[in-house]
Amino acid sequence: MLWYKAWLETRSRFLTSLATLTIFCAVFVHHAQGLLRPEWTTDFNRLLFVTQQFVVIMWILAVVLLGMGGIVREKALGTSSLTLSLPVSRAHLLGIRIGMGVLETITLGVVPWATIFLVSSLGRMPILITQVEFYVLLLVGGGSVYFAMSILVSSLVEGEYTAPAVAFGLALLAAMLFDAWLRPYNVWRLVTGDYYVDRKTHLLSGHFPWFGTLAFMCAAGLMFLVSIKVIQRREF
Amino acid sequence: MFFKLTPTTGQPLYLQLMQQIRHATETGALQDGNQLPGIRTLAEELVVSPNTVAKAYSELEHDGVLELRQGSGAFVCVKRRTRSLADHVQVARRRLRDLIEGLREEGLLDEEIKRAFEAELLYPAEIVRKR
Amino acid sequence: MTYMPVIQTRDLTKSYGCVAAVRALNLSVGPNRITAFLGQNGAGKSTTIKMLLGMIRPSCGEGTVLGKLITNAKENREMRRTVAYVAENKPLYGYMTVEQTIRFASSFYSDWRTDVARRLLNEYKLPPQRKVASLSKGMRTKLALLLAFARRPELLILDEPSEGLDPVGIEHLLQTLVAESAEGVAIFFSSHQIAEVERVADHVCILDKGCLMVDASLDQLRQCYRRIDLVFPFPPDEREFRITGVERVRTKGHQMSVFASGNAEAVVERARDLDAISVEVAPVGLRDIFLETVKEN
Repeated sequence: MLWYKAWLETRSRFLTSLATLTIFCAVFVHHAQGLLRPEWTTDFNRLLFVTQQFVVIMWILAVVLLGMGGIVREKALGTSSLTLSLPVSRAHLLGIRIGMGVLETITLGVVPWATIFLVSSLGRMPILITQVEFYVLLLVGGGSVYFAMSILVSSLVEGEYTAPAVAFGLALLAAMLFDAWLRPYNVWRLVTGDYYVDRKTHLLSGHFPWFGTLAFMCAAGLMFLVSIKVIQRREF
Repeated sequence: MFFKLTPTTGQPLYLQLMQQIRHATETGALQDGNQLPGIRTLAEELVVSPNTVAKAYSELEHDGVLELRQGSGAFVCVKRRTRSLADHVQVARRRLRDLIEGLREEGLLDEEIKRAFEAELLYPAEIVRKR
Repeated sequence: MTYMPVIQTRDLTKSYGCVAAVRALNLSVGPNRITAFLGQNGAGKSTTIKMLLGMIRPSCGEGTVLGKLITNAKENREMRRTVAYVAENKPLYGYMTVEQTIRFASSFYSDWRTDVARRLLNEYKLPPQRKVASLSKGMRTKLALLLAFARRPELLILDEPSEGLDPVGIEHLLQTLVAESAEGVAIFFSSHQIAEVERVADHVCILDKGCLMVDASLDQLRQCYRRIDLVFPFPPDEREFRITGVERVRTKGHQMSVFASGNAEAVVERARDLDAISVEVAPVGLRDIFLETVKEN
């Protein structure tokens, strides 16, 4: 029943974020596309690109918050003695939290874009399923590092407000540093589609960057492993 | 059966229980063939460790006061010998009654008499014999 | 019946910097017994228990619980399947309801007894649909204890179980402990309630500043510890009473009070030899044994 516990712990954060993201996307796209004619494909594609910028910000906010909690936070709350006395390994405990989080972050990427697809199709706008898939995969695949970073921070920092502050701070810092020195490897620019958008058609073009996305997912995986090691060594 | 165990008197609880069971057989509160509660039941009733009850029962069985039957419980078996012991106790109590009355007349308070008795009882028997 | 201790430690030590919370602890807790673990706040009781359950790593030394090494994560996890533990702060998840909590806990243990859980739920009058966060302290304590008592573990470890309970609750707790012990569950509990410990415990371990000061059966303590109050015709010399078994001697004018953990006869003899006017030997309750033991340090 550890999945159930993980669900109960993240339920309100998840559902609130899902509702906010989905409603925002539906309303924003519906309103904006109402000002366009179906023939204006470039403008419509630019609308989708702009929407993704907003989605990225909200999605990152949501997944960082979803990564918070865990046994370290439970220590401050006083329930770690109960969780740690269960006959399950610490790796198992964190693994389930990660698993639930990954499912939730994927859902938070898929549902809003599915809604956009629905709203645009109903509005007879020239939305392409391939573009939607592109945006979703970039977000959920490349963006997995943000969730992983949040999990790592929550395994190191105990405070209820300190932990998310550190996580957001790191995300911002990383974006700025990468942009300054390692611009081609900035995950922010990957998830927003900045690297792949055609400046003339505003379509995400070319082959899907499997290598880049997988590389970031590996980085996320590494951070998960480090988090597990940290938790295993920590004293409660 | 009403037993009362006092943890603070310096006497192991199982000894207190043994004494009280013995006393009950002497006064007739427990008769030959009566069944005592099971170890767990009595332990829960008195709120003491089951080991205390188990030890008391086991020692009393060794002394012949109880018979422990596997599965059924503990049964009292008062022999003729212990009935004369009851008479001894009756006589002793009458003597004690007179002694206590005498001490009260001399002006000693009940508390003082009680403490004096306790102190004398705790005196190890060897020291008394040496005197 | 072979005696295998349910808990055994060898020189178990935990230091935080240069402060030792637990010092070379050699504990041996027997099966089929109720063992009480006494000590002041900060004496190292909770630290010891946490080391046994794998939440804290010992600085040195080792230990086993039910024969499994506490420092081996896999063995420790296996051991936790048959050990029920209730921490001092009675931890519960505030966002779960009473019923969800019980269902959650029961899913981890094969020794869970549903009928007992149902009975205790009724006895403790816990509202099944109420969220734990909105329960009173007493109810939370009872629920935390229920999660342990509804199981049939080999070992029950309780840290200050009666804290948060009213006298009726405490009585019920002690009866439950006694019932569990009668079923063969080994019980190891720490408590500040000395009166309760005196009633139900078979064995007592007193920890002070990380060291095990007393490790004896209660029967032994009751038979051996004595306080001997003496009055002399002259102010007595304390040095005359440096006899084996004497723990503490206090003099005030012509009076002397000797606290002995054994060998009271020798004290009485020495007093007689020194022409004591009055010799009174009195039993010592567990509270006084505890206070004298920790004060001495």
